[in-house]
Amino acid sequence: MSCQRLKKWFDERYDFEGIRSFTKHKLIPVHKYGILYYTGGLTMFLFALQFITGMVLSFYYVPYHEQAHKSIIEIVTKLNMGWLFRSLHHWGAQLAIGVLFIHVFGTLLLKAYRKPRELIWITGFILLAISIFFGLSGYFLLWDERAFAAVRVATGGAGNLPVIGGFIKSFLRGGLDVTGETLIRFYGFHVSVLPFFTLLLIGIHVLLVQYHGMSIPLSQKDNVKKYEPFFPNVLYKDFILWLIALGVVVTLSVFLPPEIGKKADPLAAPPENIKPEWYFLFLFQTLKLFPGDIMGLNGEMIAIILISLGILFFFLIPFLDRKSARDEKSTAFTWIGIIYTVYFVVMTIIGFIT
Amino acid sequence: MKEKMLEKIKMIRDRKIKIAIKSSMFLILISFFTAISLWAEEQIQVFPSAPYDRYIIYQALALFWAGIIGLIVIIRMKLKEIERTQDMGIDKEEKDIPFLD
Repeated sequence: MSCQRLKKWFDERYDFEGIRSFTKHKLIPVHKYGILYYTGGLTMFLFALQFITGMVLSFYYVPYHEQAHKSIIEIVTKLNMGWLFRSLHHWGAQLAIGVLFIHVFGTLLLKAYRKPRELIWITGFILLAISIFFGLSGYFLLWDERAFAAVRVATGGAGNLPVIGGFIKSFLRGGLDVTGETLIRFYGFHVSVLPFFTLLLIGIHVLLVQYHGMSIPLSQKDNVKKYEPFFPNVLYKDFILWLIALGVVVTLSVFLPPEIGKKADPLAAPPENIKPEWYFLFLFQTLKLFPGDIMGLNGEMIAIILISLGILFFFLIPFLDRKSARDEKSTAFTWIGIIYTVYFVVMTIIGFIT
Repeated sequence: MKEKMLEKIKMIRDRKIKIAIKSSMFLILISFFTAISLWAEEQIQVFPSAPYDRYIIYQALALFWAGIIGLIVIIRMKLKEIERTQDMGIDKEEKDIPFLD
């Protein structure tokens, strides 16, 4: 079948002309914060990279506590290019979560969540939570002593939530403590549950963005210089950014391959000076601010409740910021956005340095 | 004459003893450092350690970046050309344009 006949075959069955026309007529506003429009596409590209490298690693990884650590050592030391794929998966995850945070805080500060884009915010927020859980579950698959201690602390922290804490803790651990059962459970989350919901939510998120079009910040409504066609102009710029990101991921993978620690021993004491991954550092530092006992109550429980309330408020911002919904200037929520961003950045840096 | 000979034998003997002491010290040190490295935490090689492999990897990385830069240059050139035609307004498809065939 020639190319023309194949094209005709598809055209008779599907409205490709409509899709072509839509991409040609999709316009992107050009203004001084326009760079933030590219963070979403960049995150998606890095996620795609994670899917590819993850699929390759899953062929060789053994999700059983007796062999998990050994199988990773074998991937790195014996498999051809195994070290590179593991390193790419590690650095791809770091970059994806980093760009995702920039995307989220950019959306928050430019109030791109305002009416009618609340559902885009909700799907994006759930995707952020999923990505962080992706990071935690992937880190645990290494089954070394640091990952083991980190998961014990994280799931233990979730257990401090009143009413539902106990259920969340035992559901995540697959029992009372972190064991081989937890490894199987985290593997299940990492390779099937989370990818399924990620693909579903990315689909909804992207569809909603196409439906509503790009949000223009209130301050830039009168300053939009011109509108650029998505295809090919913006897509070509996306390609340039993706290529640079790929280069950065590969370079970091070659020069800074992630280490493998000692195999986890559930009965051993946790290693000293243990620190979580960088995207948990702000939570870790916040927990450190609270004393163990506050007026006879468990300090950690109070900290977890306050953090949860902070996250809930963050999630509900599109519904609380009524002024932005009416396209009015909302100084209070600008400051709330700045406080959230600065708090995250400062606490992460403090956690990193100390 | 005999004294000189004895002196020489003594010197040779002393030198031999010194060499023996030095060699045994060297052997002790070598075994000590080998033992230390055995006691130390086993470091897993997460990157190929052979100099030839490393050389190949760095060379491949340099070529990879050359490819990326080349692609970026091509995309930039293509983009500039598209923007030029868009500015001239000649990128729009005309309706009812006659086909040559």
